[in-house]
Parts: sequence; structure tokens; C-alpha cells
Amino acid sequence: METKTMINYTHRQAGHCESGATSNLLRFYGEDMSEPMAFGIGNGLYFSYIPFLKVQFAPMISFRNLPNTVFHRGMKYLGIDATVIKKFKDPKEAMLALDRNLEKGIPTGMQVGVFNLTFFPPEYRMHYNMHNLVCFGKEGNLYHISDTVMETAQVLTYEDLLRVRYAKGVFAPEGKMYWINNVPGNLDIKAAVAMGIKKTVYEMIKVPFPLIGVKGLRWMGRDLRKWPKKHGVTKASFYLGQVLRMAEDFGTGGAGFRYIYGAFLKEAGEKFNHTELLEASEMMGKTANRWREFTYIGARNCKSRSQPQEDYGMLGDMMIEIAGMEEQVYRKLDKIKL
Amino acid sequence: MEDNSNPVYKDQRHGQSKELLYSYDKDGQFQRTVGFHGEPDRIILQQAWDHFNERIEDARQRVIAGKASPIVYYMEKFLADPLNLSMMAGISIWRVKWHMRPGVFKRLNEKTLKKYADAFNISIEQLKKVD
Repeated sequence: METKTMINYTHRQAGHCESGATSNLLRFYGEDMSEPMAFGIGNGLYFSYIPFLKVQFAPMISFRNLPNTVFHRGMKYLGIDATVIKKFKDPKEAMLALDRNLEKGIPTGMQVGVFNLTFFPPEYRMHYNMHNLVCFGKEGNLYHISDTVMETAQVLTYEDLLRVRYAKGVFAPEGKMYWINNVPGNLDIKAAVAMGIKKTVYEMIKVPFPLIGVKGLRWMGRDLRKWPKKHGVTKASFYLGQVLRMAEDFGTGGAGFRYIYGAFLKEAGEKFNHTELLEASEMMGKTANRWREFTYIGARNCKSRSQPQEDYGMLGDMMIEIAGMEEQVYRKLDKIKL
Repeated sequence: MEDNSNPVYKDQRHGQSKELLYSYDKDGQFQRTVGFHGEPDRIILQQAWDHFNERIEDARQRVIAGKASPIVYYMEKFLADPLNLSMMAGISIWRVKWHMRPGVFKRLNEKTLKKYADAFNISIEQLKKVD
């Protein structure tokens, strides 16, 4: 069966898999939206710390929202007609639906698990099911994939794609796929930005639960101080390593998201000529730099493991300071009227 | 820009891909650069991999000594914990833990073994021994 369908879809590398996919999809439909813009409108920024749940033997930390939030919210706020199919019971049906879409010329985004992705950098192999990629072509048994983490477009075989789409575990994708149907001519980006900022501010400082947003950051800072005493130096070092791994890697990671959000605020501020947004973006940039410092010191700590008590105390203080800095940004954003 | 001949990674295949990195410079501009990860990230990643490899080696020794069933080894090799494995194989977590005993593992029927083999993407013969 020799069939070939290729959609003229441009692959651009991005820092965050889902906002990258969203911005690339929008670009395909003629709406030139940068990655930070898609990230900001779709609430890419998030934090939660769940110490009693262990992922890969360390407390669970998430720097991103639930899967598909960026795409779904972005489309909702922009008023774009898009379809999200949450799950297919039959894997073959899921692949057939993808084939049908490709024949119609619709590039389709999918949620996949990272572990069995053949082209993925081997150092990032883990059971992580919230990755996103876009399929834009089929050639016999091969699917052309645009994964925004990678520099270039990739190919996957039918079996491999099926396997990653039905990866098992926490947040299993179950064949979730999404695509854009129709983009109306004049998008009200200003309203979308206002809604996106409002929702992000809510999620970071106003959720009445202590482990989400800025409160979660503070909680983690307090826990960080106790780790060496509670778990011993080796385990504390591993835990810290996992925190930093989440903060730095996996598609630029949590600290990198602060840069993307800052870039979003800057772009929005320049677009609507809004000085307060620009100020907020500057504050966000400084916070992001502080995050990077945190990683530097933490990594050095992981390597040398000298005087853990003091070091972890210092890192905990630093985390709480970062939480304070971030809270100021969100309080400022809360007052802004667009 | 750093090159990837950094001695931090012990595995040669690691650290070969370039990524898009954002940064914020002194002039208040957000920069986008394509490059390799910096030194701290490599240290962290290597530490995590050291930890996983230690666990895998430990599990291998225990299986060879007859203290654990091969499921433990393959589970560690897949970087999974019992909960993850139970989700992957479709077997309840208590049964997964029960099957980790070598004596119990020997008595398992083909159907259950097939479930594990499918989850690990290997054949049943491979599942019965460690490499």
C-alpha cells in the first residue's frame, strides 16, 4: 500500500512542546503567532508540588499544566474553532482517524508518552506522558512528525507511533489528538491576552490550596531545608537533582518557562503599548535569572556535597525568595487593566 | 556556544541534541539561542542516570543471586516503579509485588508472562532470564 500525503507544514523548534505545537499549528493557518504568545495565552505557566506522590523515586513536581491545557485554553480565548478528541478506545481507530485527517490536509497534534519515542534524546528517557507532537505527513508506513524539542522534523513508523500514543501510566494519553478546523479572519488578541493573564494569576496566587502556585514554591522551599536531616545526604542530593531536572530540562523546563512568560509579557506590552506590562516583563526576566542561579548553586551542591545542612538551608531560603519575587509579578499583573 | 565533547556524560549517546534555550540579558532583551545544555544541567542529568544505573545493577545482582524475580530487573531497566509497571502491564499492584518473588515467578502461567513481556516489549524467553 503505497500512499503518500505530505502537508506543507513548517517545523520550528520551540522551548515548550505544547505551546510550540500550538504556535506552529496557528502559523499553518496563516496566523503568525510566536511561541511565547501562545504560551502566555494558553496558561503554560504553572507550579505544583506534591510531596506524597513519587515520580521516579522523588517527590512529584510539575511546572506545567495538565496536558492539552495550552492548546485548549488558547483556542477558547482566541475564539478559534478547534477539535479535541480526548480518547479512542480502539488504537486502530485512533490511527485511522489520524490518516483521515492527513488525507484532508489537516496537521494533527497528539499527546504522547516520551519513553518509547525513538528519536528523543536518550538522556531524557523517562515515563512522562504529557509530551506533544504534530503529525503532518504519511509515506507508506512512515509518519512525518514535527517535535518541537528537536531541531528538525522526524519520522516514526506506524508501530512506534501507536506505541507512544498508547503509552501507559500516569496521565496516559489514550490516543488524544487535536486540530484546528477554522481560523476566523480578525482575532481579538488583546482580549485573549487579558483572559490568559487573568487565569495565570489565578492559578499562581489565588488557588485555595497550599501546594499549587506560589504557595507550593514556598512549601517546597521549607521542605528543601529539611531534606538532608530527614532523608540523609545521598537521597537529599538525588531529590534536589530531580527538582533541578524538572526545573531545567524537559524542554527548557520550569525555569525556562519564566523566560518564555517574560518574553510573552514583553511582546504583549510592545504590541499594545502598555508600560506596566513591560515593567512586569522586566521583573519576570529578573526572576528567571534568579531561577537559573538557583540551578547553578544546586548543581554545584549536587556535585560536591559539602556542608549539606547550610547549603540546603540557603537553597530553601533562595526558593522562598524566588516565590516572593514571583508573587510581586503576579500581584502587579492582577492590577493591570488591558 | 559549548560543544558536546563535555566529559560529564559517561554515555556517548547522551547530550547530542541541540535545544532552543531562552535567556534574559542585561539590556532587558529576551534571547533565543539554539545550543547544548550547560554544565549544571549535565551534572544533574548524569547524577540521575548514575542513580538509575546503580539501581539496575543492584537489581541484576539480586536476580542472579536468586533473591528476586527477573521482573524486578526489567522494571528497573524500564525506570518504572511497581505502580507504573502495574499500569503498563494491566495487573494490580499487589499482584505485581507478589510476582517479584522468584518462587512465585517460576509458577506463573503463560498469560501473565505475556502481559509482562508485552509491557517490556520483549519475548517471554527473554523475560525469564537477565542479560
